[in-house]
Amino acid sequence: MTVTLKVTVTSPNVTVTSPTPPPMLRYIIRRLLQAIPLLFIISVILFLLMQNMGDPLATLGGRQVTRSEDRQRLARQLGLDKPIYIQYLYWLIGNDWTKMDLDGDGIPETPGRRKGVLRGDFGISLVSKRPVVEVIWDRLPNTLLLMGTTELVIIIGALVIGMYSALRQYSVLDHLITAISFIGYSMPIFFIALLSMYIFSVNFKRWGLPYLPTVGMFDPQVGKTPGQVALHMVLPVFSLSFIYFAAYSRYVRSAMLEVLSQDYIRTARAKGLPRPTIIFIHALKNASLPLVTVVGLDLPFLLAGAIVTERIFAWPGMGRLFIDHVSRGDTPVVMGILMMIAVAVVVFQILTDIVYAWLDPRIRYD
Amino acid sequence: MKGRTLYALLIIGVVLALLASCRPAATPTTPPPAAPATPTTVPPPTQPPVRKVATFIFTQEPDVLNPLYTNMWFSSITQQIWNCWAWDFDDQNTPRPVLVKEMPSVENGGISADGRVITLKLRDDIVWSDGTPITSEDFVFTYEMTMSPKNTVASTFPYDKLEKVEAPDPRTVVMTFKEPFAAWQATLWHGLLPAHVLRPVFEKEGTIDNAEWNRAPTVGCGPFVFKEWESGSFIRFVANEKYWLGRPKIDEIFIRIVPDDASQVAALKAGDGDLGTFIAYSDIPTLEQAGVQMVKVFSGYNEGWYFYLHPEKGHPALKDVRVRQAIALALDRFSICKDLLLGLTKPPATYWANTPWQDPTLEPWPYDPERAKQLLDEAGWKDTNGDGVRDKDGVELVLVHGTTTREIRRDVQAVAQQQLAQVGIKLELVNAEPDIFFGSYGEGGPCATGQYDIFQYSTTVNYPDPETADWLCKEIPSDENPAGTNWQAVCDEELDRLFKLQATQVDPAERQKTFHQISRIVFEKVYWLGLWEDPDIWAVGPRLKNVRLSGASPFFNIVEWDLSQ
Repeated sequence: MTVTLKVTVTSPNVTVTSPTPPPMLRYIIRRLLQAIPLLFIISVILFLLMQNMGDPLATLGGRQVTRSEDRQRLARQLGLDKPIYIQYLYWLIGNDWTKMDLDGDGIPETPGRRKGVLRGDFGISLVSKRPVVEVIWDRLPNTLLLMGTTELVIIIGALVIGMYSALRQYSVLDHLITAISFIGYSMPIFFIALLSMYIFSVNFKRWGLPYLPTVGMFDPQVGKTPGQVALHMVLPVFSLSFIYFAAYSRYVRSAMLEVLSQDYIRTARAKGLPRPTIIFIHALKNASLPLVTVVGLDLPFLLAGAIVTERIFAWPGMGRLFIDHVSRGDTPVVMGILMMIAVAVVVFQILTDIVYAWLDPRIRYD
Repeated sequence: MKGRTLYALLIIGVVLALLASCRPAATPTTPPPAAPATPTTVPPPTQPPVRKVATFIFTQEPDVLNPLYTNMWFSSITQQIWNCWAWDFDDQNTPRPVLVKEMPSVENGGISADGRVITLKLRDDIVWSDGTPITSEDFVFTYEMTMSPKNTVASTFPYDKLEKVEAPDPRTVVMTFKEPFAAWQATLWHGLLPAHVLRPVFEKEGTIDNAEWNRAPTVGCGPFVFKEWESGSFIRFVANEKYWLGRPKIDEIFIRIVPDDASQVAALKAGDGDLGTFIAYSDIPTLEQAGVQMVKVFSGYNEGWYFYLHPEKGHPALKDVRVRQAIALALDRFSICKDLLLGLTKPPATYWANTPWQDPTLEPWPYDPERAKQLLDEAGWKDTNGDGVRDKDGVELVLVHGTTTREIRRDVQAVAQQQLAQVGIKLELVNAEPDIFFGSYGEGGPCATGQYDIFQYSTTVNYPDPETADWLCKEIPSDENPAGTNWQAVCDEELDRLFKLQATQVDPAERQKTFHQISRIVFEKVYWLGLWEDPDIWAVGPRLKNVRLSGASPFFNIVEWDLSQ
């Protein structure tokens, strides 16, 4: 990533001047072109690493070891007995240009069916026998719903808490909020998740109080209504947010403190601007830069889901999909997920740079 | 001040919203979707009856439902819900005809005199859930699909033991085996494919690998019919109105996927699940306190010690039967069951405990450390150098004990080390992750390559069938036979002869006699030492009624299950 920062000597002001479109467009195109070899290298490395993640045919998820006859037959049928570079080639460009030996007589007789990633075919899952794109697509909305809501709660919460702490620095509530957010930060997610489940679901029900559901996305007796899904999201969103509040709110707090001591804020105050305008328009916008960096880096990983939280609350998201398929050595699905995240990282980094330029007019991409 | 008030109001608002969204702390009876949000204590008489929805918790999600394409236990146990076996097994492990009129036997002509031909007579009233009759063609089709090289089925066993499957008429299936196959009863026809649904797919695509039916078998032959599967979340089955053994009393089975054990326990306690399994012993007391009934079901798993007896590579002490007997007497397995497993299980006498295949007169070796010391003295293993460990001809009685990293196994190792030290046997403890521990000889697996003198785990093959190749001399792994399954490298001529004999005994009664001899030899010569019986533990919620569970086909009587509201 090559970002050229051109810092102007003029003092920061409150008016926003958009960067001229051509350099920005050129920058985006250049970044996208750079991403192609990068993604290729990533795919090769990941494919090689996946070969060491266990044999998908060892037990096939069962209680017993697969018979050696079945293992050999399946390896042949699924092309897992081919050299690694051939397997990668089939994954990348497909195998419909060649023939496969399915019956083990040494004569390739059946035409291949795979089109390869370059033609949009990510393959068939070794576990569920479904196209990888379908497998991922089933889970992505659930993950986006959970992680998007969580991110929103975290950002809003962090802004509220961070700003409050900055504006009321060293007040009792500032100390209290800091202490609580650091307790959350120090707790492992599984602990806070299970603790909240036992308090708000199991014990609240036992004590005759209104209680929250333990697991899943809805109550089967009621059905998958928006209300049910929202209700089932309360505990996972709470658990995830609780541990991330600290880091985010500290970023906002320190950035706000720094900005509030700047000359232009004093000038704005001296001009007699209303306090909300100073805080929300002039201070917050400039204080948001560190938060944008963190959020920009975090966003692509929202697609990956939250492995522990999804597991504990039985939320059918990408995190569980990933871990389930890694444990079964399901290369097509794991590669599909990882490549999707790799693409998302590239795209979100470009978007972050664009937002940077919008927030801080001093930044130019030449 | 104004700002503070704003924040306070915001916090109060959030708390109120949370409380409002919480469910009322009422009984689990919830009105159907159309009902008003506020529950009424007395429903109006015109209200339709509440659907009986039973929620099962699975800690693993089935990979596919097509029985040919999966080895997963959590997938196979659904087959009694939506698919059908030719016969399943009740809670006494007795075969129970489902698709056949009666179990084939030599007496009723179902099994030929040479044991190679088995004939099934199908019931007249069996139908798929779409009303299409189930015929012998479905059996032939299932066999053909298993054996077709174009289908990547999980295993061709036991259909590869067959020479052919024929359908002389729609109600008769004739199976001809290459040679008599004793395990037919426990292994054949676990699930059936609907030829009228899948044959067109095979003819069009050349394979059924990608058939929609594999994950969405909307046509089935069980008491319930597949309705919906949301990946990672749930699978729903609704009552099959056409089921020939009667409509189930429950309207819907909702299988919820909850991968975390602690969450499963919380969900069962909170009433968010009516049935769960794979419960840890330590969770049993609290679940019972919450009104959940715990049911132990034997499915052939018995935890035990295998002794590495390779003629060249094995420890010299273990080759002496008296030393193995001394180990059996010196290890207080009764205390292990009482203290570490909360007294909820007991030591098995042999590898085949809790099956009809174990000689019923056998009792586990008692705890008798004094007798153990005598036997070790008799065998010539004495502590000549005063280091607290017995020795003989310059060899110390130090044995390497290996097992997986499972918590309970580590605990047992520590106890065993202490107890055996009291009779002068030193155990060196080793643990390995399961994927390494269970590796074959070819993969360098520590058990298979003889890196442990004693190794501990539990396994079963084709339960309730006792057939096992783990004990045959020809299965001892070596460079020439890297996939060999006889990891303990035991080669007892008499045992080998009996194992070969039983594999050909198609008549279960004759086979049982042979197995009683086998179990006695394994017990007396301590080729395997049982630590604890390792049943599947099911948690049955207070709403579920008439539940009986079997080890081989757990939901065999699910049609009779009911749900109290």
